[in-house]
Amino acid sequence: MSDAPFRNPGWAGNTGGFELSEDQVRGDDFVGARSVEGDHPSTAATYPYMLADKHPEAPLFEGDFQARFEKILTRYPTKQAALLPTLGLAQEVRGHVGPESMDRVAELLGLSSAYVRGVATFYTMYNKAPVGRYLVQVCTNISCNLCGADDVLEAFLRYTDSEMGELSEDGNFTVIEAECLAACGFPTCVQINSRYYENVTPADVPKIIERLAAAGPGEG
Amino acid sequence: MADNPTTITLTIDGQEVTVAKGTTILRAAKQAGKDVPHYCYHDGLSSPAMCRLCLVEVEGAPKPMPACVTQATDGQVVHTESEQALDFRRGVLEFYLVNHPLDCPICDQSGECKLQDYVHEEGRKHGRSREPKRIFGRDDFGGDVLFYGDRCVMCTRCVRFMTEVERDARLTVVERGNRSVIDTFFEEGLEGTHWHGNIVDICPVGALVSKDFLYKARAWDLEHTDSICPSCSQGCNISLHVRDNLVQRLKPRDNLEVNGFWMCDHGRLNYEWLNRGDRLEAPLVRSESGVRAMGWREALAAFLEAAAGAAGNAVRAVASPRASNEDLGAFRALVESLGGGDIVYRMSRAADEVVLKGFPSLARRRDLAPNGRGAELLGMLRVGSDEGTGGLEDVADHDGIVLVLGDALDDQAPDFGSSAALFVHLATHASAASANAHFVLPITSFAEQEGSFTNLNGRVQRFWPGIRAPGAARPAWFVIGVTLAERTGSTAPRSAAESFASLGSSFPPFAGMSYDDLGTGGALVNQPVSLSGD
Repeated sequence: MSDAPFRNPGWAGNTGGFELSEDQVRGDDFVGARSVEGDHPSTAATYPYMLADKHPEAPLFEGDFQARFEKILTRYPTKQAALLPTLGLAQEVRGHVGPESMDRVAELLGLSSAYVRGVATFYTMYNKAPVGRYLVQVCTNISCNLCGADDVLEAFLRYTDSEMGELSEDGNFTVIEAECLAACGFPTCVQINSRYYENVTPADVPKIIERLAAAGPGEG
Repeated sequence: MADNPTTITLTIDGQEVTVAKGTTILRAAKQAGKDVPHYCYHDGLSSPAMCRLCLVEVEGAPKPMPACVTQATDGQVVHTESEQALDFRRGVLEFYLVNHPLDCPICDQSGECKLQDYVHEEGRKHGRSREPKRIFGRDDFGGDVLFYGDRCVMCTRCVRFMTEVERDARLTVVERGNRSVIDTFFEEGLEGTHWHGNIVDICPVGALVSKDFLYKARAWDLEHTDSICPSCSQGCNISLHVRDNLVQRLKPRDNLEVNGFWMCDHGRLNYEWLNRGDRLEAPLVRSESGVRAMGWREALAAFLEAAAGAAGNAVRAVASPRASNEDLGAFRALVESLGGGDIVYRMSRAADEVVLKGFPSLARRRDLAPNGRGAELLGMLRVGSDEGTGGLEDVADHDGIVLVLGDALDDQAPDFGSSAALFVHLATHASAASANAHFVLPITSFAEQEGSFTNLNGRVQRFWPGIRAPGAARPAWFVIGVTLAERTGSTAPRSAAESFASLGSSFPPFAGMSYDDLGTGGALVNQPVSLSGD
């Protein structure tokens, strides 16, 4: 954990049934590791965890995660409604939501496995297969596309030596296309884990890759 | 309105319709004789209004309204065929064809496909999309179901059937947008579910097709005949789909009192026996000189003579719960005429009922024959094991008159009935035991004759002949009717209707009932039926 005074701006006051202190929410318990210099505010409340260094077969759920799962259940009127955060928790534990995780979550929530698969595949922020330490999401939507996003995407694929959506050989990178990242003013925008890289050109790509590959877990 | 709050009146395409309050525009239009095109709406399922094909123009509404979920209101003016309404649908249909492979020539659904119909009726003549189509290929869902993702229109009827009616949510929509496709949980498939054949029926396009029916027949070559499923005592209303005098498939027919819109996979796939080629085709008469095939006239004359000769012997009779009410009634009369006695029948019994959870009055019942209740109401006694075997020990070596109707006696020893003074076997198929019969009389199966079955709840339902009987096979009620008429000098029934109407005089449960009352939906027998047997 860094010592940076990161404060989650997403605190909306006490929501009642969910017994979390302001410090727990604003503090770093739920936000994972972040870079020293802080992040673009837009990333603050998105990924509450990093994708690297997860155990793809870690149990769902035990210890603190079990406690958080039970807390999640208290926040929703039905178990079905708790599906999205539960899948998120599963991804936090395992780094991705694969068939076994979907099956387990279905079992925990009393839903059918097929239904859970339908929900998990609907949302792009659930990784359906293990991803690298760095999930590189290159926006190829209209603004970025006009400014050469396809070339940036191609550069990422070339420099990480991977196929789209596949894990690179060193396990560091997974490169995917993303739809609009809401940074149309700074094309091409690339989101790497929780962090936005803006105005990326193909020439920047090797530098970014080099820096990330050299960085330790949780950095970058 | 205040005076009569239960109904409302609206105008659909210039026609005034009065419907119950709460009726949707689509249902109201149906009452007015207008069929608003739709995919996702189905009478037996919820309405998600996601296919967008039933969009209609409602005067005063700011945008097109989906007819399947919009409640009709008093004084509403709806146009289902105005230029604007047609325009909505043309647009929607064009989008449906963006990724559709248009492989109608090799598609099983061709001819009964709603996409084909609607595009033909209302669609554009030419597509404008120049983009490559996305391709899913085909997926085996297990059981009897194949899935062609490219043909799918994402109406999700199948998903909703499995979720709401079968209550085993094996299907889901995977991914989203352009990539969305129906799938099961990875390799799980539909194996082990008992009603999944229905998703093939309700699929409006050729996305879900039956493996059993795959490439067997074109829809327009099939003759449809209303019938009753013979596979259990539920009595689901079905259609026989016949081509070349062979039953090609069974489809459920709507009857909310019995089976809703559904039927089980067990019944759906249990029809091949109707197409068996080894049928009895002529009366066989055994004498000292051997077995000889004869015409009916000769055979019945010989039978009457033999019956007179055997008079006075005790009668043991075996009937079949697969025979119609008319056949069983005639058989009863034959037994009475030859001196009377108990009639027994044998019926397979499954270990469990297979209930359709979302329509709990429908189940694959334990009794695996369509007319066990009819046999019971006609005073016949059930014998034998749950496999439908045994129980005929005192018939097998009986030395008097042995009469068997419909039961093929497949499980019986080859010497069954060999010591009988007179052994008559009315059957569709020969077996080892029928070699001992003095008279083997070929009768028709239910698919080849008109008649009625009485289901578990005492509902008498008619069926109609869908295929031609082989050779000289005739309905049992007809054969027996003619024989008895000769024997007693009375008049033989000239139709199944007459045969059925005559049941009432001897059997109170059927008193006063006639085919006219039964219609296509059936009617309950007069006396309350105890359900304790199941």
